[in-house]
Formats: sequence, structure tokens, C-alpha cells
Amino acid sequence: MPSQTLEQILEGRRSQPNQLIEVLQDIQANYGYISEEAMQVVSKGLGVPVMEVYRVASFYTAFRLKPSGKNVLTMCMGTACHVRGARLLLDQATGQLGVKPREVTPDGLFSIDHVNCLGACALGPIVTENGTYHHHMTPGKLRKLIGTLSHQAVEGK
Amino acid sequence: MLQHVNVNIDGANIRAVRGTSVLDAAIEYGICIPHLCHVPYLPDIGACRLCIVEHVVNGRSNVTTSCTLNVEEGMVILTNTDKIRQLRRNLAELLVAQAPNSRAIQDIALRCGVKEVRYPFRNEDCVLCGRCVRVCTEVWRARAIGFVGRGKERHVDYPFGIRPEFCKQCGNCVQVCPMTIPPCDGPMKPGEEYLCGKCESQLMLADETPDHCVWCKLGEGFTCGRYVQ
Repeated sequence: MPSQTLEQILEGRRSQPNQLIEVLQDIQANYGYISEEAMQVVSKGLGVPVMEVYRVASFYTAFRLKPSGKNVLTMCMGTACHVRGARLLLDQATGQLGVKPREVTPDGLFSIDHVNCLGACALGPIVTENGTYHHHMTPGKLRKLIGTLSHQAVEGK
Repeated sequence: MLQHVNVNIDGANIRAVRGTSVLDAAIEYGICIPHLCHVPYLPDIGACRLCIVEHVVNGRSNVTTSCTLNVEEGMVILTNTDKIRQLRRNLAELLVAQAPNSRAIQDIALRCGVKEVRYPFRNEDCVLCGRCVRVCTEVWRARAIGFVGRGKERHVDYPFGIRPEFCKQCGNCVQVCPMTIPPCDGPMKPGEEYLCGKCESQLMLADETPDHCVWCKLGEGFTCGRYVQ
């Protein structure tokens, strides 16, 4: 549940175009993504053209424009992880789940993300699952991880 | 009261109006600096990089875009050195590779002396010159279109991909777009990365007078500063 509504986020920042990125960050933190409606409200609230809001939101990879899945798998694509086969991990995940990076599976359970570095290069290749780091990943381990997570989701229901 | 400064462009002493860009001063004087993203009535952003020149300061030269460089007293500019020609040809090649099916791009390539394109053709319809975005933002203050995304996903789009109500469909974005000029009869195709005979026959002209404005067809197509003035 969002802890702050859009109104609360915009409180005290109205008509201040320079607050755009901070507002978008807060929306991202509270809702998990930035919806079209939210962008319209932000545009009105801050007095920034809606095109500008959309441009900024689409430019930074930190902002998601679509809701993320229940389990977010983040692949590290940094140099150290790359040379140890991060590409294989990404292929494994996209192949197994049938979605492209930054997309959500139709059942809403998984979404795949890739980032440029997670800052733990010695432990690479790294995959994080909802913020939990999994080090020295292999395509096999990743397949099991995705399997366990989807099992948990089924049982959880 | 207009103030003037003396600028030296390619050895010619030019009395230019203070506050204008080097590109404008050169065009007014009849020196051809190829350009694509520059539109006389819009602020310049230096997106296409085609108008690069050498700016000599204390015997050292900086390569910079002339459209974003304002004239200053005693400035020395070289627009047509070997280094600049080489860089410019490379830029033109990249533009052709991105969008070969436009007369404006073909003409620019011709003007910059492109004989062969060394890059794989992408056959896109946009070179991201930003003319449409700037005309919408600066002239009409509509901001109905803008750049979306980042890096290789950057493209021009409406907010959320849907034409907003405040877009009056004035068509100015289409008018300034260099891609709307139909290509010549022999456009470059994938696998045939060279100029067709028609363009090649005109290469002589570009070779012989690389630094003079020859009122080329190029300008007609995409509103070269010369044609608007």
C-alpha cells in the first residue's frame, strides 16, 4: 500500500518545476512505478509540461513506467559480471519466463531488470531477487531460483 | 544599435553582428558550412555536429560546432581544413547510414564529399536532429512532441504516444523535418553502400568549391540559412 498519496507527495512542492525529479522519485518509492495519471497530476501540480515529465521519466532507468512483477529479478550487467557470463543469465531468465528485460510476465509474478553494476563485483555474476543478493550465479542456479519462487507463489495462493 | 565584431573565417575578415553565431556569420558572407539541425529562427542546440569548425586560440585549435559558438572580437575560425573535412565526412556517413532515404541527407553527404559509406545501413526515418521538437517547443510553445527514452531508444514521440488535445496539427514539425524531402531516383540501398551516378557527377562541384556557398539544392530542401535570409 502506498504510504503517501500523490497529494501528500506534491504538498509544499507545487509550482516548483525544479522539484520534478524528487517528486518522481517519491512516486516511484511509494507506488513502485509511475503511471500516466500520476504524470498528469505531477505536470499540473508542478507547472511542468506533460511532455517534459514524460521525457524525464522515460530518460532515467531508475523510473519504471509500468508496474513491476511480484518478484523483481535484477541482473548485474557490469564488466566483472559480464565477463563471467551475465549474458547467459539474462538469456536464461528471459527464455524461462518468456519476457524481455524491463517487462512483466502475464501472471504478474516476475519482472526482469538489468542494471549496470550492483557494486559487488568480486561476487559476480550477481542476481538480486527483491533486494536479496545471490552471488556466483549460474544459469542452472537461476533456473532453480525461478522455479522455487514460482512454486512459493502457487502455494501462497 | 547593432554592435559589430571582426572575425576571421577562413582568412576572410568579416564584420559580424555581435551575438550571432559563427555559422550565421559565415553563411551571410557566403562561406558554406554544411549544417542540418540549424534553423535560422530557432535556438541552436548543436545536435547534428555537421557544422563543426576549428576555432584557433593561441595557436591551438578546438573543434567545436559553429552554430553554438558566438562571434567574438578577433576570433580565428577555419571551416575547411583537412581535419574538419575528414571529421565532417565521417559524420555525414553516419547520418546516411542512419537514414539514407532522404534527399536532404543525401545532399549533405554529397556536400561533405561522401563517396562510400563504411557503416551498415539502418534505414531509419529519423536522425534525431530535433528540428520538429524545437519548432514545437520554441515557436508554438506547445510541447506536443519531445524526445522520449535514452541512448539508442531515444525517439521523438507525443506524451505517452498519443496525440494530445493541445496539438493543433499545425504541421510545422513535418515542414522542418529533413526526412520529408523525397529521395532522388537512385537512393542508396542496403548492400549498395555507394552514391548513385547522379550524385557522383555532382561531386566535382563539392570538391572544387568546398568552402563556397554554391546555392546548392541542399539548401532549398531543408531551409538552409542562406535561403531564408
